[in-house]
Amino acid sequence: MAATSRRAVLTGLGLLTPVGRTADDYWQALLDGKSGVRGLTAFDASTLPCRVGGELPDFVAKNLIEKNYRKALNSMGRPVQIGTIAAQFAMHDAGLAKGSVAPERFGIEFASVMAATELDDFARASQQSVNCAPRVVDMATWGGPALKEIPPLWMLKYLPNMPACHVTIMFDAQGPSNTLISAETAGLLCFAEAVRIIRRDLAEFMIVGGSDSKMNPLSMSRFNTFAPLTRRNDDPTRSVRPFDRDRDGTALGEGGAVFGLEELDHARARGAKVYAEVVGYAAGFDKGKTGAGFSKVIRRALAMAGITPADVDHVNAHGCGSVELDAFEARGIAGVFGTDVPVYAPLPAFGSTSAASALMELAASVLALKHGVLPGTLNHENPDPACPIRVHTGSPRAVTKPYAVKVAYTDLGQVAALVVKKWEG
Amino acid sequence: MRRRVVITGMGAITPLGHGVADLYASQLEGKSAVGPISRFDARAFPTTFAAEVKGFDLRTHLKGAGPYLRCGVNTQFALAATRQALEDADLLNTHTTDRDRIGVYLGSGEGSEDFLSLISAIGRGVEGPAQKVNPARFVSHMLDTLDPRSEAELEMHTTGGHLADVFDLCGPNYSCQTACAAGSQAVGEALEMIRFGEADVMVAGGSHSMIHPLGVTGFNLLTALSTRTDSPTTASRPFDLTREGFVLGEGAGMVVLEELEHARRRGAPIYAELTGYGTTADAYRMTDPHPDGRGAVRCIADALKDARLSPADIGYINAHGTSTQANDAAETAAIKGVFGEYAYKVPVSSSKSMIGHLIAAAGVVELIISVMAIRKGVLPPTINYETPDPACDLDYLPNQARERKARHVLSNSFGFGGQNASLVVSEWLK
Repeated sequence: MAATSRRAVLTGLGLLTPVGRTADDYWQALLDGKSGVRGLTAFDASTLPCRVGGELPDFVAKNLIEKNYRKALNSMGRPVQIGTIAAQFAMHDAGLAKGSVAPERFGIEFASVMAATELDDFARASQQSVNCAPRVVDMATWGGPALKEIPPLWMLKYLPNMPACHVTIMFDAQGPSNTLISAETAGLLCFAEAVRIIRRDLAEFMIVGGSDSKMNPLSMSRFNTFAPLTRRNDDPTRSVRPFDRDRDGTALGEGGAVFGLEELDHARARGAKVYAEVVGYAAGFDKGKTGAGFSKVIRRALAMAGITPADVDHVNAHGCGSVELDAFEARGIAGVFGTDVPVYAPLPAFGSTSAASALMELAASVLALKHGVLPGTLNHENPDPACPIRVHTGSPRAVTKPYAVKVAYTDLGQVAALVVKKWEG
Repeated sequence: MRRRVVITGMGAITPLGHGVADLYASQLEGKSAVGPISRFDARAFPTTFAAEVKGFDLRTHLKGAGPYLRCGVNTQFALAATRQALEDADLLNTHTTDRDRIGVYLGSGEGSEDFLSLISAIGRGVEGPAQKVNPARFVSHMLDTLDPRSEAELEMHTTGGHLADVFDLCGPNYSCQTACAAGSQAVGEALEMIRFGEADVMVAGGSHSMIHPLGVTGFNLLTALSTRTDSPTTASRPFDLTREGFVLGEGAGMVVLEELEHARRRGAPIYAELTGYGTTADAYRMTDPHPDGRGAVRCIADALKDARLSPADIGYINAHGTSTQANDAAETAAIKGVFGEYAYKVPVSSSKSMIGHLIAAAGVVELIISVMAIRKGVLPPTINYETPDPACDLDYLPNQARERKARHVLSNSFGFGGQNASLVVSEWLK
C-alpha cells in the first residue's frame, strides 16, 4: 500500500430501491423485514418462467430529476435515469450543489451495464422488416427505409457510460471518470478505484454509484434463458432464500445506490456529516469457484484495513439464493470467518440488480454501522450444510464492532471485497 | 519512491493482421484495412463498409478453444491477444510466477446481441393501431429462439472472467466501458494498481467489435460514420478537410504491464516504460467534445505531469484522430492548448486512418503502435490526408512513414460521454 495520509469517507447516500427511495425509508423497510420483490407489473410477464422481481414502485423520472435537466430524460434509458437521479439524491444528501466542489477535483466511478432496448424504439422498424418467420429480418428494409423509424439518439439511451456522462454534466464534474462493467463486483471495484484516486490526490470528492434495471421484457427474456431464477412465482416475498436449504434461485430487480466519497479533510472543512470510512478493499479471481480464492480476497481487504476477522461486526453477503452460487460465497466467507461472524444478506428485500446490487447491499451495512443495529436476513429458515456460515436472521441485533465487510462475486468467479468502518468522529 | 511499470509483452488482433509485427509493418506501409462489411448484409445501410479482422480462427491461437467458439468475437479476439501478450512476456507458464499477483484490466465491449431473434420477436409482437409491442408475445418469441449460452456470454463481465480462467490470472479483475476511451483507461488504471502495490503484473487492454447490425444502426443514426461508400479505403481521413465520419474497426490489443523489479528479477524482455496517465471528463455534452478541448487539455497535461515530462520531451503523438469533424478539430485545439508553439514541431498521426476505430480496443492498439514506433524509430503516417483543414494545421505525418527517433510518445483517446484518457510511454534504456 502506498503511504498516504489522505483518507476517504462516505458523506452522501442516494438510493432508489424497491423498498424505499430515501435512506430512512430503505432502512425502516429492512428493519421491518419488508420485501419489495413482487409479481411483475411493469409488463405482461405471463409467458416467463420467472415472473417475480424487485420493481421500483411509482418511479416517474420527470418528477424526480432536477427541472433544468428534465429534457435530457428523453435520451436516457431507465437504468440511466435511475443512476442519474440517485446521484442527484446523493449530492443533495452530501449537501453539495453544482459548483461547490472544484470541477477538476470532482470525479465519478459508476457501475453500469449496456441497458436493454425499449421495445417500442424498434417497433415500427421491426414490423416493416420481418414476416411471420422466426429469426428472419429483411436487411434491405432494416438498413434502408426502416432506419428512419428509429429515434436518432437510440444508442445513447443505453450505453454503459451514460449515467456517468449525465452526472458529470449535471454537476460539472471534470475530474477522473470511469464506468466499470464487472457485473455484481463492479460497485466495489468502483470504490477501490475511487479510493486510489483520492489517495493519489486527483480528487476531493467522488461520486461512487451503480444503477441497473432488469424489469423489462428484453432483460427478463434473456436472463430467463441462462440465469438461476426462482420459480416461486406464487410467493414472491419469500422467493429469494439466501443460504437456505430450500433456495431455488434468485429474483432480479432494479435500482440505484450512489455514495459520495470524500477526502476527510475536505469533508471536515465543510462540516459534512460522515457515515463511515472506507478502509480496505481487494479483488481477485477464484478459479473453479472453490471458495479459496474468495477467502484470499477477503483476507487481503482485511490486511489493507489493518484488522483481523475478530474485529468484524458482520459480513454483508450477496446471498442471491442460487443453489450453486450461495454455496460458493459461503465457502469463501467461511474460509475466513467460519461461523464466528454473523452474515447478513439484504438482497431478498429487493432482488438482484447486477451492476447496482453490491452498492444497494452495501448501503444496508453503512446504515447498520450508523444506527448501531443490524437487520435480520429474510427467508433464511433452514441452514444448508453446503453453506457453513452463521446467517443472522430474525430481529435486529446490536452492532458490537466497528467494521463491516462487504463481499461480491460474479458467476465466473471474479471476487471483490470492501471494508468500511463506523465513523466515530 | 513510486513503483515503476514497464511493458513486457504485447498482443494484437486487428484488421491489419493477427499480431503486433504485422500491425506495425502494415501501418508503416500505409495500408488500409477498410472494405465492404462481410459479417452481415449491410448493403442497404448508409454505411456499407468497415475495417474487419479477416481470417480469424481462435483455434489457431488457443489450445482448447472449443468452449469459447460460441462467445462473441470480442471475447475471442481478447483470448487470442492475451495469449500472444503472455507468451511474449514469457508468462504463460503458471508455475514460475505467483498468479494471485497477476490481474486483468479490460476495456470491454459488449457482445453482439442476437439481432435476428430480437428484431423478429419485436416485429412479430407489434399490434394495434398504436403499433406497440405486446410484451407477452415478444417474450414467447424470444424464449423460442434465444440460445442460453450465447445470451450468458453477452454479459459484459464475461470476457475478463474468461481471460482469468484460461490463463490463471487470479489477481484483481476489472472491466471498464468508457466508450472510445476504454482501452487507454484500462491501461492507465492498471498502471496505478501496480504503482499502489495491488498487483505486480496486470494484463491490460481492450477488445471490441461493433461491426454488427445494431452497432452500425446506432452509429448511422447518430450520423457518426463515414458514408463514403464509393471509396471505402479513403473513407477514414483524419484531419483532412473533407473528413465526414469515422470508420468502424474491430479487434483487441493487450499489453503486459509489470513492476520493474519484478520484470528484472525474472529477466523479462522490456519493451518500454509506461510513464504517464491522465483522465478527465468534459462534462459538456453526450457526444460532442468541448470545442476548445477543455477536458482533453487537462487530460494531456495530467498525463505529462504524471510522467514528469514537459511538452518538448514528446517526440510523437498518436492521436485519437477519428476522422470526424468535431473530434479532429477539438483534438488539434487541445494539443495546441498544451504544447503551444511546439505543437507545430511534434509529429502527430492517426492509426485509425488505416484500421478504423476499434472503440474500446482503440487506445491500447494505438499504444502498442506507439511502443513499436519508439523501438523502431519509424513513425506511422496518417493516410488519406489530402486537403489541409485550417482548423487542423499540425504535422500529421501525411501519407508517408517517417524515420524519426521519439523517446517519449503521447497516445490520446477521447470517447462519447466526454471521456478522456491519455497515456505517455517512454523508451526503455537498460
